[in-house]
Amino acid sequence: MKVSGPAYLWTPRSGPFDPHPGAPIPHSGSPIPHPGAPIPHSGLDPESPGCSLESLNCHSERKRRISFSDAFDAVHGELSSLANGTESSDVYAAHLAMLEDPMLREAVEANIASGMSDSEAVDAACTGICAMFSEIDDEYLRARVDDVRDIFRRLKDALGGAADSCSQYPPGASSILASRVIRSAENLSAAAEGAHGGHSSHICSAAKPVIVAEELLPSDIAKIDLSSIAGIICHRGSSTSHVSIIAHAHGIPIQFGTDISGIAEGDIVTVEDSMVGVSSIAEQVRSAGRKVYVNAGSIEDIRAAIAAGADGIGVFRTEFLFMDRDSMPSREEQRSIYRQALEICADKPLIIRLLDIGGDKAVPYLKMPREDNPFLGLRGVRFGLAHPELYEVQLGAIVDAAMDVPGSRPRIMIPMVSTVDEVRKVKEMFLVILSEAKDLPLGIMIETPAAVLDAEALAAECDFFSLGTNDLTQYIMAADRGNSAVGDLYDPMSPAVRRAIEMTVSAAHSSPRRTSGIPVGICGELASDPRATAFLLAAGLDSLSLSRL
Amino acid sequence: MVSAKTVISAPTGLHARPAGELVALIKSFEGSVVKISTAARSVNAASMLSLLSLGLKAGTEVEISVEGGREQEALDAVRSFLETLA
Repeated sequence: MKVSGPAYLWTPRSGPFDPHPGAPIPHSGSPIPHPGAPIPHSGLDPESPGCSLESLNCHSERKRRISFSDAFDAVHGELSSLANGTESSDVYAAHLAMLEDPMLREAVEANIASGMSDSEAVDAACTGICAMFSEIDDEYLRARVDDVRDIFRRLKDALGGAADSCSQYPPGASSILASRVIRSAENLSAAAEGAHGGHSSHICSAAKPVIVAEELLPSDIAKIDLSSIAGIICHRGSSTSHVSIIAHAHGIPIQFGTDISGIAEGDIVTVEDSMVGVSSIAEQVRSAGRKVYVNAGSIEDIRAAIAAGADGIGVFRTEFLFMDRDSMPSREEQRSIYRQALEICADKPLIIRLLDIGGDKAVPYLKMPREDNPFLGLRGVRFGLAHPELYEVQLGAIVDAAMDVPGSRPRIMIPMVSTVDEVRKVKEMFLVILSEAKDLPLGIMIETPAAVLDAEALAAECDFFSLGTNDLTQYIMAADRGNSAVGDLYDPMSPAVRRAIEMTVSAAHSSPRRTSGIPVGICGELASDPRATAFLLAAGLDSLSLSRL
Repeated sequence: MVSAKTVISAPTGLHARPAGELVALIKSFEGSVVKISTAARSVNAASMLSLLSLGLKAGTEVEISVEGGREQEALDAVRSFLETLA
């Protein structure tokens, strides 16, 4: 999937960075800033919003709009009465508290002061505030961003904003980006006539723009009328993100990892979809005679991966079994999950990773100690060995499940291994449970520099290796992957990490356990990066476990 | 300024409802500026949105600091709120 179109440079903080400060913006209300509104961008004149209507007369017959201040009061009233109501009043009380956060009002008013329409100001403030949530690493808490969006949607509705999309935009789509897309298309003279008549199809067929952004969040893409763009190019993000999923659901190619600094507005750019990359990874891997696995974090993931033709599951993360509950899952409960997983995989390999918690991944009922430096603390196998009952139950459940499914051979993987001793201890635990029942392969994640440096000794103890390049990169480069200040250092393709991968493969393949050594795969995000495929295959990896297929 | 460290104990972390309650609690201490910091960021805890954007999940260590007003009283109240959160 390759498409071309004129670049439309997009930025989430479109106020001060608006690439078209003087361009027409659909607008019919009075853009007077709220009295007393803070004006942080004092270089800009709040009285000149720079709007003109003549080129977008489909906007001129909007329902009459009210000012932001009135909209705010209206929403405040709505939420207050909901918060005092009986149903879901907790939720609305929380929404009210969010609305009352001075930050929200200040953000919108500052945007208005910088020359945006009320509607645009609300959209931009929403994007800005939502962006604050994007770095939360807890899925549930990050999802609060939906509450934030909900509040902004109310504000937009109160402003009459929901109505200010032209007929070609789906109802409810907000106008900020859509209107700019029209403008961008207008720059190509072919589109101008279509906009006048409101016949969007002319715009679309003339030359759909390509959105070029540093990063798009789900809330951003929700603002894009995907039927009016040709494709998306992002610097940051990945083909496994929600943004990518949404774009693909609309058949829009999206490319990640492109340095956008050299792209100018209106440049004709070509988008090569990153998912094409993923399917071409699978193709390359198979044509090199290696296996294409998929990472899974639930039974649904496994089902989807096998249905999509994966050769196996490279890592079945079991944390989900332990989260969001008050006590440890019983052996029986775990057994039933592992049994389902084995049944779905049938004769395809399934690598089950033992519980990998500790550090930043907390499980309340396990009473985890506070640590100053959780990434260097009691996590993975360290936690498992400190709480042997956890791994004993889990190993037992895996063995039970393997007995339930005739012919199955789940592979068991130990996370966060640093020493041979750790492997031996888990093995002892395992042997006690196994008795003579079944001999199951036991392997390890290679994700600490210690494991790489001692890989030869580890290879003598294990049945397989799997490179966890996310943590491995972080530890080798001593760079927190969540810290953008050292983001450049966090590079899984840096020479040091590549060397570590090569050392690991070499140690695995020269393991004395079998003539050809033990298999070594990779289950980090690097496996899904098309730019790394050639290197990974050349390094000799036996399998690449992709984020999805 | 007074400060103290604590750990978020609530299994679901500091989600929207308790965050709203915390903001209300802080507002009751007029003249006090309460900040909550994680290893990554420090925010004004009177801002609901900032507070939520910290993503305070179970097990997160936070530092509470209070400046102005009834400092110690506010600090104790906020700490006790976070520690008893279920």
